[in-house]
Amino acid sequence: MLKDMFQNKKNEKPPVKSTVASPSANIPDKMWVACPGCGRMIYDKLYTQNLKVCPMCGYHIPMSANERIDMVFDKNSFERFEYQIPTSDPLQFPQYKEKLQSYKTKSKLDDAVICGVGSICGIKTAVCVMDNSFMMASMGYIVGESITRTVEYATENKLPIIIFATSGGARMQEGIVSLMQMAKVSGAIKKHSDKGLLYITVITHPTTGGVTASFASLGDVIIAEAGALLGFAGQRVIEQTINQKLPKNFQSAEFALQHGFVDIITQRKKLNDVLWKVLSIHCS
Amino acid sequence: MFKKILIANRGEIAVRIIRACQEMGIATVAVVSEVDRDSLHAYLADEVVCIGGNASADSYLNVQNIVSAAVNKGAEAIHPGFGFLSENADFAEICQRCGIKFIGPDKESIILLGDKAIAKQTMMDNKVPTIPGTDGEITDIAEAKAIAKEIGFPILLKASAGGGGRGIRLVNSEEELEEAFHAASTEALSYFGNGGVYMEKFLTETRHIEFQILADEHGNVVHLGERDCSMQRRRQKMVEETPCAVLSEELRTQMGQAAVNAAKAVGYKNTGTVEFLLDQNNNFYFMEMNTRIQVEHPVTEMVTRLDLIKKQIEIAAGMPLGLTQKDVTFEGHSIECRINAESVKNNFMPTGGTIEALHVPGGLGIRFDSHMYQGYKLPMYYDSMIGKLIVWAPTRKEAIMRMKRALDEIKIEGFDTNISFQSDLIGSEAFVTGNYNTATIEGMLTK
Repeated sequence: MLKDMFQNKKNEKPPVKSTVASPSANIPDKMWVACPGCGRMIYDKLYTQNLKVCPMCGYHIPMSANERIDMVFDKNSFERFEYQIPTSDPLQFPQYKEKLQSYKTKSKLDDAVICGVGSICGIKTAVCVMDNSFMMASMGYIVGESITRTVEYATENKLPIIIFATSGGARMQEGIVSLMQMAKVSGAIKKHSDKGLLYITVITHPTTGGVTASFASLGDVIIAEAGALLGFAGQRVIEQTINQKLPKNFQSAEFALQHGFVDIITQRKKLNDVLWKVLSIHCS
Repeated sequence: MFKKILIANRGEIAVRIIRACQEMGIATVAVVSEVDRDSLHAYLADEVVCIGGNASADSYLNVQNIVSAAVNKGAEAIHPGFGFLSENADFAEICQRCGIKFIGPDKESIILLGDKAIAKQTMMDNKVPTIPGTDGEITDIAEAKAIAKEIGFPILLKASAGGGGRGIRLVNSEEELEEAFHAASTEALSYFGNGGVYMEKFLTETRHIEFQILADEHGNVVHLGERDCSMQRRRQKMVEETPCAVLSEELRTQMGQAAVNAAKAVGYKNTGTVEFLLDQNNNFYFMEMNTRIQVEHPVTEMVTRLDLIKKQIEIAAGMPLGLTQKDVTFEGHSIECRINAESVKNNFMPTGGTIEALHVPGGLGIRFDSHMYQGYKLPMYYDSMIGKLIVWAPTRKEAIMRMKRALDEIKIEGFDTNISFQSDLIGSEAFVTGNYNTATIEGMLTK
């Protein structure tokens, strides 16, 4: 065969040495981001341009609260509420305070939520954005209290409120105090609702535990980002408890939509448009 | 000069680039998809890296794997060939950031010329003639109606980010305009992610004349004459020739100068092609500039005796052009026929299979650029072009006779090809007399 002749000739040649001393030294750090969905590499510029959504598989990579605010709100419209709430450590949980301090330093956040008011295409709204880079956005006293005060602000000022939910659940280091936040935030939302005001929940990946079991499920309109995980306990825990095999994607936003738990699923790039439409219907 | 170059392409152009590198003493790295391990470029290159699966998106468009291969093999430059990543500004930028030279223009030129509306505006600003139409993208239907009235029907609506004939609508009257505007915009959005469209006058019975540009990194720009690529079917070129049979010396000088001006206007570097439409009254209009080596570059090489791939590599290495416009001379006539694996009787459907027998014509003035060899199994994943038959002769008449002889002689057994159709085209009255335009082939097919 001709191809064997080509191959034989090639095998006679000595291997070619690299002509660059240390080629990988030229590659800038963080130029590529690995997609957690498909494992393929995303070019940093494309990653930013595409709002942290993998252009190949569509996986929505979690955003920080600040990135989310920049994406959603009109330029320079966001005003942050600084509540100065003291840290709660009712159980004197070992090394909890050190851990909190370390997260504060790393993330430059006071806790796992940023609250404030901002405008979407000119419509003013109160907002709470959770950030899972801070202790997996677990809900402790500061998170619960900040959200409660923001909901109360919205009620007083007759504003709609949007909560971008993401969480690993209640913060175990704060014991019963963390569980109490579920009821407190839910109570504030009820008063907001009683005034006929709009509450939009945006479920982002992942939203679980006490946050799902309280305010994340209470929105008048529940919007989820495509592919977001949404659940209370983990799949294995439920399976072992009830001794039943559960459907593969039963904790996905898409499954929740099919079963009436979510109203809208949207791609991240269309989220602003969806939020504006819902707000404009309510506020017109 | 570079010591090692990675070729981010496949097929005949990869083979063509490897040949140029070998003559320049540059080591080559071929990248292949899984199915292309037996492709000729894999055998001719010094080193081979398999960069992914058979689908182009997994291999020849897989930027990270191609860049990784270049880094791992220590290649100093990447030649993108044509198609695939050759006009991808992000790829050019990534190469630059990784310290690898992209053999082509810089990313700014690719971005500017890739957006047809901006490119057109740039040309207008620099007094390069453009087809009458909108200055930029159309914002709404009212604007579209007003401009269409001004320039007169028929008009074409084109996607700003378009290519390959997508997002284009021919509109013959005002009644058709609104529906066509929405259709073009929707198609543009779904294919290119950008729904912007612009409008231009639809010129009938035009010729597609393109000028080859060479520009170095020191500000020197020359053109290497024109190619007449009017023999097209569904906007896909089939036969190309140089010089154009109907271009006067005066018009050639004018168009060449306009092409050079176009390249200078955008600070262009490396090889590029400025495409013009030439109407029956010898008015010429800028269409677009292709920021890569073209399939049909060999006809220019045959009449100028310049190796364009070598020139590309030299320019990328920072070498000056070493020639002025006066140094560029043209001798004789050259024609290229694209040989495709397709069934003409089945509406040019792509074919495939194993090459059971292959005979390549020879003799004075015959060149066959291909990646085929006997026993090669043609993969079904890529373009159907399997070779380019190029002839050179002192006169156009002799070149036509030589091409006819070569097409009669070439033999490819194993699947259907368009060889006999090409033979009919070359022998047609329209081609022999030089009296053809971009609608000629479609006209012949409808008869």
